[in-house]
Amino acid sequence: MNIIETKNLSKQYQQGALSVNALTKINIKIPDRAFTALLGPSGSGKSTLLNICGLIDKPSAGKFLFCGRDIGNVSDQELTTIRRNKLGFIFQGFNLIPVMSIYDNIEYPLILLDIDKKSRTKRVNAMLEKVGLSKFKKHLPDQISGGQKQRVAIARALITQPNLVIADEPTANLDTRTATDIIELMHKMHQAFNTSFIIATHDERMSSRCESSYQLQDGVLL
Amino acid sequence: MKWLKLAIKNVLRNRRRAIVTMLITAVGVSAILVGGGFANFTYVSLKEMAARSSGHLIVAHKNYFEREESIPMEYGLDDYKALAKTFKSDKEVRYAIPRIEFTGLISNGEKSTIFMGTGVDAKYEFRVKGPFLIVEEGSVLSKRETEDDPKIMLGNKLAKSLKAKVNDSLTLITTTVDGGLNAIDVTVQGIFSTGVPEVDKRSIMVTLQTAQSLMATQKVSSVALHLRDTESTFDKYAELSSQYPDLAWQTWLDKAFFYVGVKNLYNRIFGLLGFIIIMMVFFSIYNTVSMSVVERTREIGTLRAIGTYSREVTRNFILEGAVIGIIGAIVGILIAFLISFGLSLADIQMPPPPGRTNSYPLVISIPNNLYLVTAFVSAMLCIVAAWLSSHKAAKKSIVGALSHV
Ligand SMILES: Nc1ncnc2c1ncn2[C@@H]1O[C@H](COP(=O)(O)OP(=O)(O)OP(=O)(O)O)[C@@H](O)[C@H]1O
Ligand SMILES: [Mg+2]
Repeated sequence: MNIIETKNLSKQYQQGALSVNALTKINIKIPDRAFTALLGPSGSGKSTLLNICGLIDKPSAGKFLFCGRDIGNVSDQELTTIRRNKLGFIFQGFNLIPVMSIYDNIEYPLILLDIDKKSRTKRVNAMLEKVGLSKFKKHLPDQISGGQKQRVAIARALITQPNLVIADEPTANLDTRTATDIIELMHKMHQAFNTSFIIATHDERMSSRCESSYQLQDGVLL
Repeated sequence: MKWLKLAIKNVLRNRRRAIVTMLITAVGVSAILVGGGFANFTYVSLKEMAARSSGHLIVAHKNYFEREESIPMEYGLDDYKALAKTFKSDKEVRYAIPRIEFTGLISNGEKSTIFMGTGVDAKYEFRVKGPFLIVEEGSVLSKRETEDDPKIMLGNKLAKSLKAKVNDSLTLITTTVDGGLNAIDVTVQGIFSTGVPEVDKRSIMVTLQTAQSLMATQKVSSVALHLRDTESTFDKYAELSSQYPDLAWQTWLDKAFFYVGVKNLYNRIFGLLGFIIIMMVFFSIYNTVSMSVVERTREIGTLRAIGTYSREVTRNFILEGAVIGIIGAIVGILIAFLISFGLSLADIQMPPPPGRTNSYPLVISIPNNLYLVTAFVSAMLCIVAAWLSSHKAAKKSIVGALSHV
């Protein structure tokens, strides 16, 4: 089954009298357990497509199916429920919650899912182990490096074992070495959890790691 | 619990702002409490003063309060001794004191003026008046006074106008119950002040028997019941007035014009000030939460993206507002407490209220329910302010919030 399927999906932005076609008639299929790259120059519509895939934006035209379900008429509230259960997010700017410790940041999605304290502790500690940050669990996001922050973000995205992780340029703010580590970590996680990833990236090494890729240009799939 | 912890951490994020907002709330809460405590003290004092001067309940002939008497004591009480005794046997009634109200002329031989007289039961009247009747010269009337040497107490302004001193002799002239005129000579026993110049200009007090012999009557105007507890006035009123429907009943409140006037005035003044303070606190919390909402737009977007419902985001901000408001309220309560305690030690005298001549101590007596109401109102303010400033942001486009810088 496809986690994501789009049918002639288009997205327009209205800027005053001007309308920008950010995406035009996109047809993609992302299967379960895929590690997919979304490539294209700046302004080509990668983020726009990713936001729709992450259920935080809606298409202007065409169909978007998530796990086979058309989300065109789904309420905000229900989209949130789907996101908390089935999706994970990795952002270019890490987007950790600054007042929460590393541990708390990773634990947060489990709290949303009402998982009891005992199994939360177990899962978060195991995850900290996996991303190699056990030593830093009491630190605040400000007290660790960019690469470490992105590891925390990866841990937070995967802690609920989602079906799909959305990553918008996850390595753009990192130096080359750290970026390689992060790419490796994401790939490792993909294999360990059987989670699908869609990754928007400029990074050559990232795209070479991916099993499949889509190329965008001016909002059109190449 | 974890949400509360998170809220506290978020509040502490911008310590200076949080502290300023808490202080504004604290100052507002303490101002309301101190103002309210002052008003309350004033109400309680005036209530006590009114109740002690008129009695908590006043019972009279059925027509006494309603109709004008065509001859003096037409609507007087005959059997007042028996009545007073019956009422006195009630556990809640401390005293049942007969009184005569009468008017006439008072003269020093050279000058005459109108008086408003009260014939009082010397044994009890001065006990219940207590600190609310200030004897400036001489002493109060004595129950051992003899019939051939009647005494009088004068209001200080009246004494001044008649140039009367203690032990001076004056003449009272009044109409008797059969319509004739009668006069007696009285000796000044004391000069008093009620603190109300209008009253002190006209008032005299004589004993009940002096008044009765002057008016040639065996009746009294009314019997004043003094209860053990002012708060039970209206229950007792309901009980007795239905038990004795042939008599007319009033409560102290019917006679407490000054109390009612001051209360209305203060309620308006303090109500308006309270409202202004509440608005200040409200906008201050609204401002603080709004700023923190704007600053944390991207964070809101992140939380929403990873699956937080917008109402959960709003709830977190409400908790933050509540933390600020509740801490502010607690500090405010402490400040108010210290101020009222400090004032009770400092013994500051307030200038006399309008239409009065006596100053009075500045005492802040904050009623418990005012604490509760203020705490509740400030908590509600925080919740409403935080809700208003965050609920829209929590529902805003997630993509927009995430790209906010
Ligand atoms: N909120 C918006 N309002 C108007 N136009 C927008 C908005 N967001 C994106 N666009 C336009 O849509 C097009 C696609 O933008 P998008 O951000 O998806 O590109 P991208 O491929 O992610 O670029 P980058 O690699 O720089 O992140 C661009 O032309 C952009 O200007
Ligand atoms: Mg982008």
